[in-house]
Amino acid sequence: MTASHEPHSAHELEDLLRARRGRIRLCGSGSRQDRLPPPGDAAVVRLARLDAIHRLEPGDLTCSVGAGLRRDVLDEALHRVGLELPCAGGGTIGGLFAHDAVGASTAGGAQPRSLLLGLEGMLANGTRFRAGAQVVKSVAGFDVHKLLVGSNGRLFVAVQMHLRLRPRPRAEAWFRRDGLEAAAACAQFAALRALAVPPAELHLQRTGSQCVVAGRFAGRASFVAERLRRLALPEAEPWRTLHLEPDGSGEVLAGIVLPSRVPELLAALPALPFLLRGGGRFELATASPAASDAALGALAALGAHACVARGEPARRGRGTTLDPGAERLLAGLKRALDPDDTFV
Amino acid sequence: MQALERDLCRLLGAQRVVYEPDALLAWECDGFTVHRSRPRAVVLPDSTAEVQAIVRLLHAADVPFVPRGAGTCLSGGPTAAATTVVIDLSRMRRVLRIAVEDLFAVVQPGVVNLDLTAAVRHLGLHYAPDPSSQSVCTIGGNLAENSGGPHCFKYGMTQDHVLSALVVLPDGELARLGCEAGSRPPHALDLPALFCGSEGTFAIATEITVRLCRDQESVRTLLFAFASMSAACRTVSDVVAAGLVPAALEILDQATIRAVEASVYRAGYPPEAAAVLLVELDGPDFVTAEEAAEVRACGERHAALRIEEAVEPQERARLWKGRKGAFGAMGRLATDLYVLDGVVPRTRLEEALERIAAIGRRHGVVPNNVFHAGDGNLHPNISFDGRCPDQTARTIAAGHEILQLCVDLGGSITGEHGVGSEKLDHIGMMFSPADLDVMARVRAVFDPDGRCNPGKALPSRAGCAEVAKWPQMVARVLGVEDGA
Ligand SMILES: Cc1cc2nc3c(=O)[nH]c(=O)nc-3n(C[C@H](O)[C@H](O)[C@H](O)COP(=O)(O)OP(=O)(O)OC[C@H]3O[C@@H](n4cnc5c(N)ncnc54)[C@H](O)[C@@H]3O)c2cc1C
Repeated sequence: MTASHEPHSAHELEDLLRARRGRIRLCGSGSRQDRLPPPGDAAVVRLARLDAIHRLEPGDLTCSVGAGLRRDVLDEALHRVGLELPCAGGGTIGGLFAHDAVGASTAGGAQPRSLLLGLEGMLANGTRFRAGAQVVKSVAGFDVHKLLVGSNGRLFVAVQMHLRLRPRPRAEAWFRRDGLEAAAACAQFAALRALAVPPAELHLQRTGSQCVVAGRFAGRASFVAERLRRLALPEAEPWRTLHLEPDGSGEVLAGIVLPSRVPELLAALPALPFLLRGGGRFELATASPAASDAALGALAALGAHACVARGEPARRGRGTTLDPGAERLLAGLKRALDPDDTFV
Repeated sequence: MQALERDLCRLLGAQRVVYEPDALLAWECDGFTVHRSRPRAVVLPDSTAEVQAIVRLLHAADVPFVPRGAGTCLSGGPTAAATTVVIDLSRMRRVLRIAVEDLFAVVQPGVVNLDLTAAVRHLGLHYAPDPSSQSVCTIGGNLAENSGGPHCFKYGMTQDHVLSALVVLPDGELARLGCEAGSRPPHALDLPALFCGSEGTFAIATEITVRLCRDQESVRTLLFAFASMSAACRTVSDVVAAGLVPAALEILDQATIRAVEASVYRAGYPPEAAAVLLVELDGPDFVTAEEAAEVRACGERHAALRIEEAVEPQERARLWKGRKGAFGAMGRLATDLYVLDGVVPRTRLEEALERIAAIGRRHGVVPNNVFHAGDGNLHPNISFDGRCPDQTARTIAAGHEILQLCVDLGGSITGEHGVGSEKLDHIGMMFSPADLDVMARVRAVFDPDGRCNPGKALPSRAGCAEVAKWPQMVARVLGVEDGA
């Protein structure tokens, strides 16, 4: 049975890492573990107890939180002071950034990397380090903290994170158009993205041959009302679907594509369930590993990047070919920050 | 001429290699004029292939190099030691591609910031990061410094606008960081974010993909004049507390207002005001009108002496002229200008400004302030005569204390100008040896031999860094340190 640890403090975590021999799988709330390769014999270190809100400064639009803090708990605290963390995703805050599954919500929207101002981290040998700052602007030192985004816990532990916040919009309204043909849905999606002030969130989903375009306008009440009226968009319930579920022996690919290539993508991979967010990140459900491999080829031809997000454990993370120079740097960063390959 | 210079001439032609000592004067320093040093040579490539060939030659000869854009950096970033070759990218100034629907442009690194906006203006687009030096500085320099500007409060820094970069690594190999669709393929780390702000110490960017923003239907610029700096800062607090996110929130103090008004950057700011606040709002016309009314009410609550509102581009440009020209105007007051760049939590601006004035008094210098109030990013400017060692020493000592103050208040030693060579002695105020060691490890992944802009951004023995005592630093800067 794999060992499991749940440190209550940074000190406990440090002691644990210093004493520990062997591999480690970092885990927040565990909500994304089914998207990572299996931990094998690695000890699981759960960070959910590092869940303090250390600092919340509404006037500065910043806060510092333990990486194990749950998103919904942070949201509640922020709502009380009229603020929000303007990016989608649940689980723990550390997990949200380390996995970065959904990217920006809309054209030009905040990416998780823009919201992470700094962190206090720990290397696999227990060495503590800081990067970035608590303030909204700092270019001192290299931005090692940005390496948390997409690292899936394989480089270092984020212990405390400094985040940039935004005032909560005074009003918001969701809209939704159902039953669209792919071409009409793409045109609607592109038109909404092209607005000088696009919706704060934008989604396109294809199920079978039908598509839905949904989104959320946010801002002043007068602006939100004017947008729905002028664009003749029907108001709707909030959109909840951030991920696709694999079907039977099927897989889910997660990727990123240029919006202008979406019509070609839908045509090249007809009938596959597809979910796209306004920032360009998408998920695509395939019927089998072989279908995934074929889809990865088609996606690469469209200049998109994607990888297996859910499916057979051994296949998770397999994806389109990256630039060889970038591959070399990625491998170098892993060696530099986790030389013993402790974090899996 | 030495063998290396001969090889470089063979590669580029003699016109694009500079090695005569007098001709090298133009590359002797950047905007941080306290550090001066002539490089061994300067090369002016036109393409990625040429940069690669140059870097391979330098790699084979084990010669360090420094990438350089327009040289407007304010922290000594592109200033090169006598043994070092400068790779000047200012000839690589082509906009390679504009993708309107996907909202990005691919540019060479020497493209001037404002020229990019000029190239896409007819499409109703612009490039958002707007350092005050934007009519001169390059996108490559902006990327390397992670530059900001007045509109960062809403639109973010350069890092928030960079999607991808093609870089020449110090061994001459190429790497494409990120992807056009959104900076990070799902199975990769965010390499463009890491590269941004690396101050030319990782690699040379030769092609940069940046996000473009759509022009807004309406832009309103409001100018408030106040009888006290405190009233200006409190107005900013009220605007933020109201949940408004203006595109820009900028403050100039009285000395800066007067310097501006006495210069070619004259903007009609009232010289009797203790502070001027510029607020810019953008969005649909009816929205900016509603927001302007709210912002006005904030200013009125703090007894603004004067409020002006401009919507027409010409009028707005006039209001901005003073702010954008503030450094230039201050630069006319003495032979040298030390532009500081500390950050404090925005809610501590007032306290910080009072304590900065006290530091100035103690050292017999006058820090004048122009700053990004929304971000808490201060630019205390100290005019001094660099020919006078005593004035220089007092200026640097005051600067050192001001940066320590920023850190003590929970802020940073630099918000947008970088560490360069200027703040090597300050970085230990923010980071421990362990922190710096982690950063050094990351740098070594790109540049294991330390030949790319050596001696910048991180102390060379990062693990042993400590906060230098200011007299040591002054000695180093003045070149009277042991062995200098
Ligand atoms: C009057 C004035 C106003 C300013 N206002 C602002 C402001 O509002 N906000 C702000 O952030 N800054 C400001 N600056 C600072 C400066 O303009 C910025 O740092 C700018 O980004 C530097 O660009 P550059 O082309 O001049 O780069 P340089 O000064 O030539 O170089 C800067 C650094 O970038 C590296 N570099 C350059 N090109 C490349 C490349 N292609 N690849 C890798 N590394 C490279 C260099 O090695 C160096 O370390 C101001 C400066 C002045 C003089």
